[in-house]
Amino acid sequence: MATHVLDGHGHHHEGHDDHHGPPPPWLQRGPLRRGGWLKALWTTPLSFGLATAFICGLRALTNWDPVWDLEVLLVGWTVVVPFGFLYGLGAFDYWLYFVTGRKTLPEDHSGHGADSWKDYFRVNTDHKVIGVQYAVTTFFFFLVAGLLALFLRAELAEPGSQFVDSNTFNGFTSSHATIMIFLFIVPVFAGMGNYVIPLMIGAADMAYPKLNALSFWLLPIAGLMMLASFIVPGGAFNAGWTNYPPLAEHVQVGNLLFQMGVQWAGASSILTALNFIVTIITMRAPGMTFWRMPLLVWANFTTSMLVVLATPFIAGSQFLLTFDRVLHTNFFVPEGGGYVVGYQHIFWFYSHPAVYIMLLPGFGIISEVLAVFARKPVFGYRLMALSLVGILILGFSVWAHHMFVAGMAPWLRIPMMVTTLLIAVPTGIKIFSWLATIWDGRIHMRAPMYWALGFISMFVIGGLSGIFLGSVPIDQHASDTYFVVAHIHYVLFGGSVFTIFAGAYYWFPKMTGRMYNERLAKLHFWLTFVAFNVTFFVQHYIGLDGMPRRVADYDPVYADWNLVSSLGSFVLGAAQLIFIYNVIVSWRSGAKAPANPWRAMTIEWQLPSPPPKYNFDEVPRVVGGPYEYGIPGARHVILEGGSELSTTPEPARVGAH
Amino acid sequence: MRKKSIIQLLILAVGIGAAAFVISFIGIPWLPKVGSEQGERIDTVYVLASVISLVIFAIVAAASLYAIFKFRAKPDDEEDGKPTHGHTGLEVVWTLIPTLLVTGIAVWSGVVVVKNDRLPADHMVVEVTAAQFAWSFTYPDLNITTGELVLPVDEPVELQLRSNDVIHSFWVPEWRQKQDAVPGILTTYRITPNREGTFAVICTELCGLGHAVMRSQTRVLPQAEYDQWVAEQQAAVDGGGDNLGKAAFVNNGCGSCHVLADANGTGTTGPNLDEALVGQTPDAVRESIVAPSAVVTEGYPDNVMPKTYDTLSQDELDALVDYLVKTTSG
Repeated sequence: MATHVLDGHGHHHEGHDDHHGPPPPWLQRGPLRRGGWLKALWTTPLSFGLATAFICGLRALTNWDPVWDLEVLLVGWTVVVPFGFLYGLGAFDYWLYFVTGRKTLPEDHSGHGADSWKDYFRVNTDHKVIGVQYAVTTFFFFLVAGLLALFLRAELAEPGSQFVDSNTFNGFTSSHATIMIFLFIVPVFAGMGNYVIPLMIGAADMAYPKLNALSFWLLPIAGLMMLASFIVPGGAFNAGWTNYPPLAEHVQVGNLLFQMGVQWAGASSILTALNFIVTIITMRAPGMTFWRMPLLVWANFTTSMLVVLATPFIAGSQFLLTFDRVLHTNFFVPEGGGYVVGYQHIFWFYSHPAVYIMLLPGFGIISEVLAVFARKPVFGYRLMALSLVGILILGFSVWAHHMFVAGMAPWLRIPMMVTTLLIAVPTGIKIFSWLATIWDGRIHMRAPMYWALGFISMFVIGGLSGIFLGSVPIDQHASDTYFVVAHIHYVLFGGSVFTIFAGAYYWFPKMTGRMYNERLAKLHFWLTFVAFNVTFFVQHYIGLDGMPRRVADYDPVYADWNLVSSLGSFVLGAAQLIFIYNVIVSWRSGAKAPANPWRAMTIEWQLPSPPPKYNFDEVPRVVGGPYEYGIPGARHVILEGGSELSTTPEPARVGAH
Repeated sequence: MRKKSIIQLLILAVGIGAAAFVISFIGIPWLPKVGSEQGERIDTVYVLASVISLVIFAIVAAASLYAIFKFRAKPDDEEDGKPTHGHTGLEVVWTLIPTLLVTGIAVWSGVVVVKNDRLPADHMVVEVTAAQFAWSFTYPDLNITTGELVLPVDEPVELQLRSNDVIHSFWVPEWRQKQDAVPGILTTYRITPNREGTFAVICTELCGLGHAVMRSQTRVLPQAEYDQWVAEQQAAVDGGGDNLGKAAFVNNGCGSCHVLADANGTGTTGPNLDEALVGQTPDAVRESIVAPSAVVTEGYPDNVMPKTYDTLSQDELDALVDYLVKTTSG
C-alpha cells in the first residue's frame, strides 16, 4: 500500500548517521577524563572525600563536638556522592558543555543504542536500552526484597525467636517493603513504559532522552543506599516503610539512608513521569489521537500525573524527618510543639496515590493482553480510559483512610470513608469491562493471558478486602493487623506483580527477539498462583482473629497458620527462580521471535523483534483504533516497509519450544 | 443458546457463591467472640460487607471461569472474536450498582460510627498511658494505677490515651476497636464491655524493638467483683503509703511487665520478679532498674525495658530497691 508520510513531524530523521561521524568533544578525551566507569572510579571517592573533609573541617573549625558525626556525614554523603558518581559516568557531560557555552553537536546520537552488552552499562539515551536497564535492575531488587521476605517468613514459621532478633527483623520488614515498592514495582513499570510507549505512539524515542538516561541511573543509587543501611552501625532502617515519627527519629542512623534513598528514587520517578507526559502529549504519530491511544499509554499518562503531583509529598515528609534529626527542627517532635499526626497526612498524601502508581500501569498491560489473546476490542474503551482519569482524581481524596485510628480529626473519617469506598466504582468498571472483553472472544491461553486472568481474580479479592478496610468501623478492628498485610499483598502481588509478569511475558519476544519457554512460563504461573494464595489468604484470618502486623514474635495460637503461610512463601520464592531461569535461557538460546507472534495490532508489534535502533524508518500513520480485532480490513497503523499489520495471521506460528 | 449460557453461568455463580458462604460463615470463626456493645454494631457492618463481597466475587469468578472454558479457541483457530465495542446499558449498570452498594456500606458504617462515638454523660473514665513497652491504667477518681485494665461489665467507659514516647495503639480484638496513643495529643476510646472475661490488650503500632511483647490484659468483671478489686487496690496503695518502694513499683506501672505477687504485678513481658530476684544483691537490683542492658535475664530480649528509670528520685529508687529485695527474699 502506498503511504504518504506527513512532513514536519519527523524531527528524528536527520542525524541518524551522525554517530558515524566524529564523536562529540566530551568523548575525545583520555580514558580517565572521558565519562564512564573509569572516570566514575575516581570521581566517586573524590566526592566522598570532599564531602567528608568539608563537613568535618567545618565542624572542627567551629568547635562542634564530635567532629566525626555519622548522622551529619550520612546526609552529606547521600547528597554529594551520587553527583560525583553521575558526573564521572558522564550523565551531565552534554549539559555541562552546553551551559558553559562550549561547542556541542546539534544532533548528538553518541549515547544512543546498544551494539554490545557493554552499552547497557553506560549512560545510554535509547529508550529501549533504558527499558532493559530498568527491567534487569528492578528484577534484581525484586529478588533481593523477596529474599528478605523469606527470612521474615522463616522467623515467623513458629512463635518465639529463632533466627533473628527484633532489630534485624524490623530491619527486614522495613527494607522488604521499601525495596519492593521503590526499587521494584514503581520503577519496573517505568522500565516497561520506557520500552513500549515510544513504539506504541510511533515516536523515535522519548522527548528528553538525556533526562531519561539520568532518571535510570538515579535508581541503582537509591537501591544501593537502602542496602547500605545494613552495614552502618546499628543495622538497617527499622521503623517500617511508613517510617512514622517519633519512632523514626529515635531509631539508629541507618534510618537516614531510607530518608535519603527515597529522595533519589523519587527524583527518578518524577523525571521519568515528566518525560512520559511530554512524550505522550507531543510525540504521537500523525493520526494517533488521544482516543486512538492504546490503554497502556493512557494508563502511563494518568500514572505519570499521579507521580508528578504526589511524589513531592513523600520527598517532603522524609526531608522534614531528616531536618528534625540533623538540623534539630521540631516538625514532628511533640516536646517542641511538633504535630506527630501531621507526618502521616503528608506521607499518605503520596503513599495512597502511590498504590495507584503501582496499579494503573498494570491495568494498562491487562487491557493490552486481554484484547490480543481474546481477539476482541477492549470493551468500553472510552470508559476504560475515563475510569483511569477517575481513579487519578479520586485517588487524591482518600489518603486519610490509613489514619482512621491514628488520632486525626474525628469528623474527617466519614468523608474519607465515602471517597475511599467510591473509588471502588471506577475500579469495578475496569473489572467488569475486562470480563466483557473476553466474553464471546476466541481465547488463546498463552502465558500472558494466564497472568492477566489470574490478576483479575486476585485483584478482586484485594479490592474487596479494601472495602472492609475502607469502612471506618471494620477498620477500627482490622487496621494494623495481618488482615492489612493480606490485603496489601493481594493488591500489590496478586495485583501489580501479576500484571508485571503478564507484561514481561507479553513483551519478552519484542524486547529480546527470542521466544520464552511457554511450558516453564505456565509452571511459573501455577506455582505462583497456588503458593501466593496459600501464603496470604490465611493472613486474613489470623489478622481478624487478633495477630498484629510487624511483630517478630506472636501468640502461639497462630502457630499453625503461620507455618502454613511460611511454607507457602518458600514455594512462592522458589517459583520465581523458574522465571529467572526461563528469562536467562530463552534470552540466550530461545527460538527467534517473529515480529508479531501474538498477531497484535498496536504499533510496537509491526516492527521487527527487537526493533531497530531508531525505531522507525518512516513516520507511521495511525488510521484507526488499537484493538479492532474481528473487523474485516480494520487497521490501526500504516507503516512504510514495516511488516503487514492488521489481523492477518503470521505465516509461522511460534509454539512452546 | 444465549438463554442456555446465561443459565449455565448462573448455576456456576450460585455454586461459587455458596462455597464462599460456607467458608466465610460456617467453616472458620473469622472473628473472636464479640465482647462489647460497640463491637456488636461493628459486626453488623462486617456481615453486610462480607455478603456484598461474596456476591461480587462469585459473579467475577463465575464469569471468568465460564469465559475461559466456553470461549477458548481451538489450537489452530485463527478467527477473531465478536467485535463488540461496548454496550452503554451494561456500562451504566456496572457503574450504578456498585455505586449504590458502596454507598449503602458507607451509610451503615457512618451510622455505626456515630452511635459508637456516643456515651452517656455519666460514663467512667480511665487514663491509659503507653510507653515503650508497657501499658499503665490510672483510675483518676479512685486513685488507682495498675498494669492491667479492670472494668465492670456493661458499664460505659471512656479510655483517655496518652503516650510518653512514640506512637502505640490500643487494641482489644474482642471489643473490635483500636485507637492510637499519640505523643503530644489526647485520644479517646469509648467502649461498653458486655461480656465478662479476660482479654488481651495488644499494641498494634510498631513502637520499637519490644513491640511484639507490648501486651497487657483486660479483665471484665461483674460489678461486685469489680468493687472488691477496687477495694483491694486501694488497700494496696494505702499500704504502700508508708511503703514508698511499693508505691513506686505500682505507680510506675512495673506490674504491667513483671509478675510480683505482693504488688499484684501480673505482666509477662519481663522476667517474673518473684523468681528472678531471689538471692540478688541490692546493687544488682538497682543496676537492673537503672541500666537494664547491663545484665539481661536469659530468655528475654535486650532493649525492651525502658532505660528511663534512672530518672527516678534517689529516695524513690532506694525505697524501690529496698522493697524489691525484701519482698522477694523470703
